[in-house]
Amino acid sequence: MHDSGTHRMARRAVKKATLVTYSSKEPSAFAEMLGGLIEANVRASPSKQRDFDALTARVGIWVTDIDEGVTLVFESGRLTVYNGLEPRRTITIRAEAETVMGLSNLKIGLFGLPVYYDGVGRGVALKLLQGKLKIDGMMTNVATLNRVTRIFSVQ
Amino acid sequence: MAVNAFSDEWATQFKDEVNKSAAYKAAGKGWKWTVGLVVEAEPDKHFPESRGLVMDLFDGDARDIRVGTAGDAQKCDFVITAPYSRWKQVAKKELDATKGMLQGKLKLKGDLPTIVRYTKASQELTECTTRVPTEWPDEQ
Repeated sequence: MHDSGTHRMARRAVKKATLVTYSSKEPSAFAEMLGGLIEANVRASPSKQRDFDALTARVGIWVTDIDEGVTLVFESGRLTVYNGLEPRRTITIRAEAETVMGLSNLKIGLFGLPVYYDGVGRGVALKLLQGKLKIDGMMTNVATLNRVTRIFSVQ
Repeated sequence: MAVNAFSDEWATQFKDEVNKSAAYKAAGKGWKWTVGLVVEAEPDKHFPESRGLVMDLFDGDARDIRVGTAGDAQKCDFVITAPYSRWKQVAKKELDATKGMLQGKLKLKGDLPTIVRYTKASQELTECTTRVPTEWPDEQ
C-alpha cells in the first residue's frame, strides 16, 4: 500500500537546511555575494561546515572604495547577513575591494592557520602593515578571525 | 585600427589580446569554463539590440571568443550581465569589474567560489578589453 507519509518524510530529509538568510528583503549585491560565497564554501567542505557550526560572532566587512559593507552574524550553524555595519561587532574588517577578495583567496595551512608566506598571503600581510587593511578586534579575537578566514577562503 | 564595440572584429581583437597576455596565461591556469558577457541594449546610446559575447577560455588561453545573441551568452557556465554603457565604463577603465560586481553594477551568475578564486584572471581579462582600440556607437 502506498504510504504517502513516508515519502513526505524522505523528501523532507533530503531538503537542504537554510544556512544563510538576509535581514533585508533587498540585500545589497555585496551582501548576496558574501552570503552566497560562504554558503557554497560551507556546503562543499565538511571542515568549513564544522567551523561554521562552531562559530558565534558578529563580523563587519567594510569595502572602503565602494563605501559599502555588511555585517555577518554567525550563530552556531546559521548566518544572517545585514546590509551595512550593525552594532556590537566582534571583528570589523576594512579594506578596498581587491583586498577583500584577496582575503578569500588566502590558503589555509597547518593547524588550520591562514598561510601568510605565499604570494597572496604576503600581499594581505603587507596591506595590514601599511594600514590598507584594518581589522578592529583582531588582537583579542585571533581564533575567531582564523575561523572566519577558513570559512571565507575559496582555496 | 579601431573597431566597432562588441562586433565580430572587436571579438577577434579581444581574443588576440587575451592570448598575448602573459598575465592572463598565468592567472587563468586551470580555468575550464565558458564565460558569457551579456551587453544589454541601450537604444538611446545607439546600441539598439542586446548582444552576447561567448568566451571559450581554457587553461590560460582563449580558444574562441565570438559575438552571438544574449541567449547564447546566457547558456555559458558563468554569465556577467550589464547594460552597454556599464561595459563601456569597464573597457575605458572608468569602472573596475570587481567593484562593479560587488556593487551590483555588473550582475554575475555562476559558482561564486570559482570566480573568486580567479579574481586576478578576470581583472586581466578586463585589462585586455582596454587594449582593443574601440569605436563606441554613442560617440560616432
